[in-house]
Amino acid sequence: MLNKVLIIFQKEVLDNLRDRRALSSTLIGTLLGPGLMLLLFFVIGQTVEDATQQTLQLPVAGAEHAPNLIEFLEQNNVEILNPPADPQESVRVGDYDVILIVPEGYGDDLQNGIPATVQLVVDASRQSSQVEVDRTERLLDSYTQQLAVLRLVARGVSPSILQPLSVETIDVATPQSQAASLLGTMPYFLIFSVFLGGMHLAIDTTAGERERNSLEPLLINPVSRRDMVLGKMGATVLFTIVSLIGTVTAFGVLFNLVPLEDFVGTRININLGVMMAIFLICLPMVCLAGSIQTIIAAFSRNYKEAQSYLSFLPLIPALPGMFLAFVPVKPTLWMMMIPTFGQQLLINQLMREEPVLAINVVVSISITLLLSLVLTAVAVWLYKKERILFGR
Amino acid sequence: MIQVTNLHKSFGKVHALNGVTFTALDGKITGLLGPNGAGKTTCLRILYTVMNPDQGEALVDGFDAIRQPLEVQKRIGVLPDAPGIYPRLTTRENIRYYGRLHGLNGIVLERKIDELVKLFDMKDIADRRTEGFSTGQRVKVAIGRALVHDPKNVLLDEPTGGLDVMSTRAMRDVIRRMRESGKCVLFSSHIMQEVSALCDNIVIIAKGEIAAEGTPEALRRQTGYENLEDAFVEVIGSGEGLE
Repeated sequence: MLNKVLIIFQKEVLDNLRDRRALSSTLIGTLLGPGLMLLLFFVIGQTVEDATQQTLQLPVAGAEHAPNLIEFLEQNNVEILNPPADPQESVRVGDYDVILIVPEGYGDDLQNGIPATVQLVVDASRQSSQVEVDRTERLLDSYTQQLAVLRLVARGVSPSILQPLSVETIDVATPQSQAASLLGTMPYFLIFSVFLGGMHLAIDTTAGERERNSLEPLLINPVSRRDMVLGKMGATVLFTIVSLIGTVTAFGVLFNLVPLEDFVGTRININLGVMMAIFLICLPMVCLAGSIQTIIAAFSRNYKEAQSYLSFLPLIPALPGMFLAFVPVKPTLWMMMIPTFGQQLLINQLMREEPVLAINVVVSISITLLLSLVLTAVAVWLYKKERILFGR
Repeated sequence: MIQVTNLHKSFGKVHALNGVTFTALDGKITGLLGPNGAGKTTCLRILYTVMNPDQGEALVDGFDAIRQPLEVQKRIGVLPDAPGIYPRLTTRENIRYYGRLHGLNGIVLERKIDELVKLFDMKDIADRRTEGFSTGQRVKVAIGRALVHDPKNVLLDEPTGGLDVMSTRAMRDVIRRMRESGKCVLFSSHIMQEVSALCDNIVIIAKGEIAAEGTPEALRRQTGYENLEDAFVEVIGSGEGLE
């Protein structure tokens, strides 16, 4: 009875190719991820650049007490501003992120070898000022260090006596894995594409069909309910695959043709083979999404109701993905048994060019396909009930 | 031939059908007449395989609608209560879809579609998408696709509902022509005039039970009323819900 499945499949594809809503929702599902990713790179690149390369504007009260310090700051890309009348108040209201106060006795203390006090007015509760505050503190630290070294040398003592420990950090992150910490969001976007690409079709072919009153006459045709579900689900799966191909291609273009190194400083190299592998790993999820969507949409009363349920659906599998973007997890076999979570870990490994265990791939793919099969059977079972005429 | 025996069906506490039994013969028009909510649509839905009765049997040409739905589906053409068609498909594509689901294809199917387009006077709308069609045009497409496989039994649920005078006349013509070609036609209606004008046999249904059955003549004799309207009111107990 493959023939009947094919007839229903063809009709749904033709019908939805003529539907602007179906096409635009597939397109959005396709481009949302790569678009957001590009934006993310751009914003992160911009922020990092801003904070490190721009001239730091620092109001200084009592600058006349410390000409050497001021000169040091100016040499280090700091623009000294005239202080406001009430430094504490102006930091509190957010006019300035940080203000330096040099008290009158600074010069005398320095001369006498007594720790000379300078004050930084900051608002620790304001996150956005953190970069400026850190920079100011670092500059003052290095000025202190410089003075200390000079004093020791003047007394004939080696400055290294002040440095009992020498800490060297050996960063094993390759440029690839640094960029991958940003790329940790990619699996999430791929899943988004899988659960959004065919969503409109899943609804249109089931809840939408009922809403248009065309479901009841369709059910009277000599077609088993199983063939009906398979044909409709097939159309959903096709649109989802097209959407997924679009997303993976868009990511490929993003990583290989757009000069991302200008934004993030490192080159991201994800070649065609990796993109293909990612696509293949995502394929079983397409079946999973199709069967879940068919079940939910079949038992919503109308298009709107189905749409509101299905719009939330991509958030559930995306949760571990969002978590992964911040906390790295070492993939183990039991994680592969969780559909969508396993795939996200595998995609992450592929992107980091880490070795991927064959057993993990096999377990992830087969469990996801098995679950899809079970859910498809559930969808068929639901279609055989007479409640299908009315929805829930 | 359609045989319904002792059908029972409840939705929660509502007894939609309470032991309905009747037969519709080939070459005859059988009318299922009853006020709104009498159980007409439920009865037809069981016959055309989308609902299961709690009890009883529904046979089409000897095949059981519950146990052999595919065999029944091959032998019936149905115009349901609310027949939705696909707005993004043309008239021909709508009919072709159902034809293909019934196993027709190629030149045979295209000829059949041409025939239906001619029969229902749909030439000007045959290749237009059905979006924006009038009620009459939509019903034509729906009846066209219901008959594409030349079914032996035709079930029509309120076929003239929402149609204007001309379309109603055309529909009655079609129903008569189906009788002439030997089909078994079963249609439901709450419009008395329509039933009395068309039917060879009338089944009056009220509150899920058969109130009376027979030819218009027999019904008149049975109730002793010359006027059919009075006869209907007599067997149903009230004229409520009839037109």
